Amino acid sequence: MNNFNDDLYPLALLMDELKHDDVSNRVEAMQKLDTIAIALGPDRTRKELLPFLNDVAQDDEEEVFAVLGEKLGDFISLIGGHEYCEPLISILTILASMEEPLVRDKAIESLNKISFELNEQEINDIFLQLIQNLSQGNWFSKKIASCGLYKSVITRVDLNTRQNLLKLYLKLIVDDYPMVRRAAATNLPKIINLLTEFTESKPNDVNKITNEDWEIISKMFQHLINDDQDSVKFLSVDVLISILDFFQKINEQSFNSDFLTSALKLIKDESWRVKYTAADRFDKISINFINNESDLYQLIDPFISLMKDHEGEVRKAIAKQLPGFCKQLTKFPSTKATILTKIIPIVNDLNQDSQESVRASLASVITELSPILEKQSTIDKLLPIFLIMLKDENSEVRLNIISNLSIVNETIGINLLSTNLLPAITELAQDNKWRVRLAIIEYIPKLANQLGESFFNEELLNLCMSWLWDPVFAIRQAAVVNLKELTIIFGSNWAQKEIINRLLNNENDSEEKVDYSNFIIRITCLFTIKELIPVIDYNILIEKILPFINSLIQDPVPNIRFNLAKTYYILVSSLIEISKNSNINQQELKNLIDSEIMNNLKLLQNDSDIDVQYYSNQSIEDINNLL
Amino acid sequence: MDLDNDVPMEDVEEQETHTSPTSISSSIKPSNSSKTITSQQQDSATTSAKSSSQLDSSSIGLLDSWIEKLSKCEPLNESDVKKLCDMAIEVLQFEENVQPVQVPVTICGDVHGQFHDLMELFKIGGPCPDTNYLFMGDYVDRGYYSVETVSYLVCMKVRFPNRITILRGNHESRQITQVYGFYDECLRKYGSATVWKLFTDLFDYFPITALVDNKIFCLHGGLSPMIETIDQVRELNRIQEVPHEGPMCDLLWSDPDDRGGWGISPRGAGFTFGQDISEQFNHTNDLSLIARAHQLVMEGFSWSHQESVVTIFSAPNYCYRCGNQAAIMEVDEQHNRQFLQYDPSVRPGEPTVTRKTPDYFL
Repeated sequence: MNNFNDDLYPLALLMDELKHDDVSNRVEAMQKLDTIAIALGPDRTRKELLPFLNDVAQDDEEEVFAVLGEKLGDFISLIGGHEYCEPLISILTILASMEEPLVRDKAIESLNKISFELNEQEINDIFLQLIQNLSQGNWFSKKIASCGLYKSVITRVDLNTRQNLLKLYLKLIVDDYPMVRRAAATNLPKIINLLTEFTESKPNDVNKITNEDWEIISKMFQHLINDDQDSVKFLSVDVLISILDFFQKINEQSFNSDFLTSALKLIKDESWRVKYTAADRFDKISINFINNESDLYQLIDPFISLMKDHEGEVRKAIAKQLPGFCKQLTKFPSTKATILTKIIPIVNDLNQDSQESVRASLASVITELSPILEKQSTIDKLLPIFLIMLKDENSEVRLNIISNLSIVNETIGINLLSTNLLPAITELAQDNKWRVRLAIIEYIPKLANQLGESFFNEELLNLCMSWLWDPVFAIRQAAVVNLKELTIIFGSNWAQKEIINRLLNNENDSEEKVDYSNFIIRITCLFTIKELIPVIDYNILIEKILPFINSLIQDPVPNIRFNLAKTYYILVSSLIEISKNSNINQQELKNLIDSEIMNNLKLLQNDSDIDVQYYSNQSIEDINNLL
Repeated sequence: MDLDNDVPMEDVEEQETHTSPTSISSSIKPSNSSKTITSQQQDSATTSAKSSSQLDSSSIGLLDSWIEKLSKCEPLNESDVKKLCDMAIEVLQFEENVQPVQVPVTICGDVHGQFHDLMELFKIGGPCPDTNYLFMGDYVDRGYYSVETVSYLVCMKVRFPNRITILRGNHESRQITQVYGFYDECLRKYGSATVWKLFTDLFDYFPITALVDNKIFCLHGGLSPMIETIDQVRELNRIQEVPHEGPMCDLLWSDPDDRGGWGISPRGAGFTFGQDISEQFNHTNDLSLIARAHQLVMEGFSWSHQESVVTIFSAPNYCYRCGNQAAIMEVDEQHNRQFLQYDPSVRPGEPTVTRKTPDYFL
């Protein structure tokens, strides 16, 4: 460490490392750049490190540049403040002008970060100059870099400068290179959103957004929407959304009919990318037209044509928009009526779409239609669709429906839902895909909560018990957790009567006894008991659970014996927990633990199997800590 | 569909002598000569039972932290791998060529670096140590996560030596791993071949067969014309690189075949053996079944020789493209067998590769 006292050491070390043959070493060295700057102090960082980095930025590999670009973003404080920013910005400018997008993006991000630290004067002098130079650069990569920088200054300059900037940006939007137009179009929504924010937060500012600003932006949009490259044109969807958002926020609706025309043009575009993007963000567009009945109405047919599109990706995207758009349609009686007359029939086609991903996408949202359709229509129109989709050959479709059923409960009530769905649920409970069975099990507590005890016992209890004997461990595990959840709902006595007595073969009249000869059955019983212990009453624990656990102490399988040791600890901690808040005789409990439980654990401690020894030691230690 | 038709040994030899860098060639020779091991074994045989079976609490803590890290599919760092392999040698060197295994146990076949599918296996069969496992080799190569897979299994072995048995497969060898991915993966993930060397040195200690309750003989490949009784397996010196021929090679390379008697294996190592051979072997050794892995089977398990041999394969959608199911075999206390089949694990966020052939191939 003495070396660090040597002033030159950190820089020399970095220079050495940066000359290493292996790129990964150089990348690693670059990662430590901030540490080195701290070691050097602001003064020498400016005078020695930055000039050195300026050279590095012109002679290394892209991986190294990317790290350099990222690191420099946090350098303002390390060089002693924003007044020294110029050399830093010039290094980043070199990096930002590179053709490798990875390097460029990091450098632009860092430049934007730095811009927050600059004062108005520096923004106007240094940063604007930078943007202008890059925007008029002789090479496309410089222009692309400039597109990412406008957002950090656009609301920090005065009205005139801003309009000049927008005019400059317009040139990028119509640039000869599609790469530049793409970058400009991608960044435009952010710029518009900033202007929106600015208008909202300072409505009466001297530099507030004027009609001239909007004329330029509108020109940009017109160019984008008519661009001959699909890869540029599809970006205008987001631009439109941002523009609509602005006018929505200032409550200005006089341009709505123009915007609607543009929106319809995009939705009906021939290119699937444009259509896909419009479909993917449909409700964000349509939300802006919900105040005008006829505008909204005009969107319905285009929506339906997207649902019928021959491109699967488009149908998949628009299916996701069903709940959002239908909700908007409820605003007027005339549009609301079309949900049932026009849209639902097409949904009926979509649920049998030839592409699985379309059906899966529909299945993940279709249940959200039930509150929109309300009770009777849900029963008449949606339930049949659910039932078809529950039997879909694709397990993801089935899964998506099951996992979103709770929202349907709220509309039509659990009774109706369950009488209609119980047959399907029973069928899915035996699905050969275990993840489908799992989804059903996880849905059971919700059902139980609303079905009530007697109905549940009659209809679903046997099913719940049968999952305990599933061949797949994950299902048995879920079944165990499910029984605990059910015990929380129906109570300890219910658990004793319906679960514990059955598992422990305590029911005299029971026609089916649990067959303990199988190891998996024994250990599953033990796991169930272990899971139930924290939600079971004291006297059941003492009278039923403890004798059962004790009975396993001679089990021939060591796996049972060490799980037994673990279970003893759970039991003791539950007993102690309950006894604290009730009038149970503490001394009696302590005697019981000492005599019966600790004795058994000591027997296990001397077991021939090391895992049994280990876990019983563990439990003894944990119990002693509790006492 | 038989993708596991590994390169004949000649090719590997050629690769070793002609093309592989010298640093590798020199490390191919087992680091410990077999002589010293045997004497070591005898020296410590008396104390082995106690000293090797008890882990101190700091080792347990370390192992538990490694297992937690690995279960997130994050590889251990190099120095931890070194510690792990040292600990594993302490356990494995005292295991037998024919390692006795108690019922109940769940028997599994090839995993081949498909780490997420190994985690799926534990979801299907239950976690270790609650469930006892017997793996029949081929943990590395082919899949993308050989390092994590073999590290995980070895960690479990050291942490719970009585709950899990890991046998050696033909891929647990210096030569094969240089061709089929494990060597490259180590190089990629660690920047050097150190970890590869640590693991391949460790593989020499893996037991080569197991005997479940004296009734089910488990091994990676199959039978050998030079082995008639299980006692003959016990006499082999297994602590070495898998040889190119001879009984130890055969046990890791052979396949059952519809033709009777012994046949030449298309793999270039081991033999094929017919129903007469299996039945004779089971009769001589009072066995009910030979369980082995080594071959891709579309249902995950496959009977042959009128249920005297079963093949188990536990890598679903092998090589991420074969479209096969995987299986494991649960053997309970009464020796009842249950096969559990499963599909590849589902990983949210990752594109699911469709198993159907795209139209343009048809």
